[in-house]
Amino acid sequence: MASIEFKNVTKQFDKTVVIKDLDLKIEDGSFTVLVGPSGCGKTTLLRMIAGIGPQTSGEVLVGDQDVTDIEPGKRGVAMVFQNYAIYPTMTVRDNIEFGLKNQKIPKEERERRVKEACEKVGMTEYLDRKPGTLSGGQRQRIALARAIVKNPSVFLMDEPLSNLDAKLRVQMRVELIELHKKLKTTFVYVTHDQVEAMSMADTIVLMNQGKIQQMASPSVMYKDPDNLFTARFIGSPAMNVKAFEDGSCFGFRPEAAIMSKEKEDGWFKMQGTIAAREMLGSETLYTIRNEQQDTFVVKSGDDSHGVDETVWIHVPREKIYIFGKDEMRIRQQDDGYETYMGKVGAM
Amino acid sequence: MYKKKQKIAGFIGVIAKILICLIFLFPFLWMISISLQTATESSRAPITFIPASPQWQNFVTAWNMAPFGLYLKNSIIIIFSIVILQSLVMVPAAYAFAKFKFKGRGFLFGLVLVAFMMPVQVTFLPVYYMMGDWRLVNTLIPQILPHMTNAFGIFLLRQYFMQVPDELLEAARLDNASELKILGKIMLPMSKPAISAIALLSFVGHWNDYFWPLMMTRADAVRPLTVGIAALKDAEGNNNWNVIMAGNMFLVMPLVLIYIFASKFIINSFTYSGIK
Repeated sequence: MASIEFKNVTKQFDKTVVIKDLDLKIEDGSFTVLVGPSGCGKTTLLRMIAGIGPQTSGEVLVGDQDVTDIEPGKRGVAMVFQNYAIYPTMTVRDNIEFGLKNQKIPKEERERRVKEACEKVGMTEYLDRKPGTLSGGQRQRIALARAIVKNPSVFLMDEPLSNLDAKLRVQMRVELIELHKKLKTTFVYVTHDQVEAMSMADTIVLMNQGKIQQMASPSVMYKDPDNLFTARFIGSPAMNVKAFEDGSCFGFRPEAAIMSKEKEDGWFKMQGTIAAREMLGSETLYTIRNEQQDTFVVKSGDDSHGVDETVWIHVPREKIYIFGKDEMRIRQQDDGYETYMGKVGAM
Repeated sequence: MYKKKQKIAGFIGVIAKILICLIFLFPFLWMISISLQTATESSRAPITFIPASPQWQNFVTAWNMAPFGLYLKNSIIIIFSIVILQSLVMVPAAYAFAKFKFKGRGFLFGLVLVAFMMPVQVTFLPVYYMMGDWRLVNTLIPQILPHMTNAFGIFLLRQYFMQVPDELLEAARLDNASELKILGKIMLPMSKPAISAIALLSFVGHWNDYFWPLMMTRADAVRPLTVGIAALKDAEGNNNWNVIMAGNMFLVMPLVLIYIFASKFIINSFTYSGIK
C-alpha cells in the first residue's frame, strides 16, 4: 500500500510540453480514476508512476519515496495495459509467474501465489493454455492476475476495459470494484469514459490539456463542478449550456428540466419543438430546439411526447449553474451570481 | 458456364505448377542421373537420361580422388561458425535498432543498409590484404570472420521486431526482467519464423560459396567442399562428368537432408500466429 505524489512535474516530448508544473496527491488505498479527453496527459501520468515514461523534471513519490531513479520493476507497482500485453509465446501460468521468477521467489511460494491470483480472477482451469486460444475478457483477466500475483503497493490500469464488448465491460467494472475492496491497495485507473470514472472511482481526477480541471468524488464532480469543462465532461448526456452576450454562460442538467405542454412555473422557461426523441427504456431523451436555434436535451421519465410537438421546458432556480467568462463557476456566494441569475429568469 | 470456366482455370494452374517444378527439378535430376552413368554414357550425344546400369562405384571413385572427408569437415566448421556468429551479432543489433532510441541510430542503420547492398567483389580484395597482413590467409578464419555480420538479416529481423508491441516490453520491464531476458524470453520466441528463415538462407548461401574460399585458401587442409569438388575437373578438359557429378552429390545431399528436416520446423513456426 502506498500513496502517490507528483511534485512540480513537467513532461516534454521533444519540444512539446504535455504536462507543466503539475502537483497531485493520490491517497493510499483509494480508487482514483484519471479521466479526460484523449491527449490530456492522463496516460502520461500513469507511465510516470510506472517508470516506463519518466518525467522531464519534478518528483514522483510512491509511498513517500522519490522513485525517479528506481527501475520500473523495483517500484512495487503493477500495470494492466489496454491491449493486455500478454506474452503470446508463454502459457497462462508462465505469464503470471514471469515477474515472480525474475524476483527469484522460491518455487513453492510462486505456485501458491499463482494459484491464489488465478482464483481471484477465476482463470484456474486455463493455466496451461496459450493466450492465443483465449477471448479478450479472459486475456484481460490474466493481465489482472499477472498484476495481482506481485502483491504490488499500487495498481496501474490504462484503459483496461476499452477493448472489451459493452456487456463484458459492465461486468468487469463490478469485478474491479470488488477486487479493489478485497485487495485494499491503491488503484490508479486511466480512462476517457466518464461513465467508467463515475461508476468505479472514489476520487476522480479530471484532466484537460495537461492540467487538472477538478479532483473530487464522483458526486461532487457531478453536483458541484468547478468549471465549464468539468460540467460538460461529466454526465451523459452533457449539461445544456447557453451563453450570455458577454461570453459567460449558464447551464442545467438534462434531468433537471421539467417538460410539459403548457407553460408552468420555473426560473428558466423556454418554448420549443421536439427535434429528436430517443427512447432508452426507463427514460426518454428529447432534443428540443427553439426559434433562436438553441438546442437543449431533456431527460424525462415521460415518453408520451412525440417528434415535432411543441413543448415548454422549465428549470428550477437551484438547478441552474452559472459560469464566468473565464469558464470558472460562479457560485451563490460569488460576485455577480444574482445578476446572472436575474438574466436567466428574465429570458 | 462459370463453373466450367473455373474448372479450366484450375486445370491450367495445375499444369503451370507442374511445369515450374520440372524446370527447377530438371538440373537436379540430371545431376543424379549423370552421377550414376558410366564415363562414356555421360559424354555421349544424344544425352542419356536413364543410365543402363547405375554405377554406384562413381561415388567411391570421387571420394577417393580428393580428401572429401577433410573438405566436409571444413565446410561444416565454417558453416556452423558463420550461422552461430551471425545470430549472436544479428539478434541484439536488430533489437537495438528496432526498440531503442539512441544517438546515431539512423546513421548506423544506414551503414547496415549500405553493407547489405555492397557486392562481395568490391570487398574481397581489401579483406584479402587485411587477412594477409594478419597472416591469416590460408586458414579457416578468413572464411568465417568476414561473414560474421549479416546485414540483410539485421534488416529483416529489425522489421520483424518492430511489429512487437512496445507494451509487451514495458510489461516485461515492470515484471523486473532484464533486457537480456526480454530478448531471450519474449522477442526471440516470437521471432522464430524470421530467425529460422534468415539462418536457413544464410546457411544455403554460405554452404554454396565458392568464390570467397577459393580466394582465401591455397591448401586442401583448409578448403571447403565447393572448392574441393571443382578440383575434380581435369586441367586439360578431359572431364569425367559422372565422377564430378558424384562429387556434387556430396555437396548437395547435406542441404537436401537439412531441408527435409528443417522445412517441417519452418512451416510449423510460420503457422504460429498472433503477435498481438
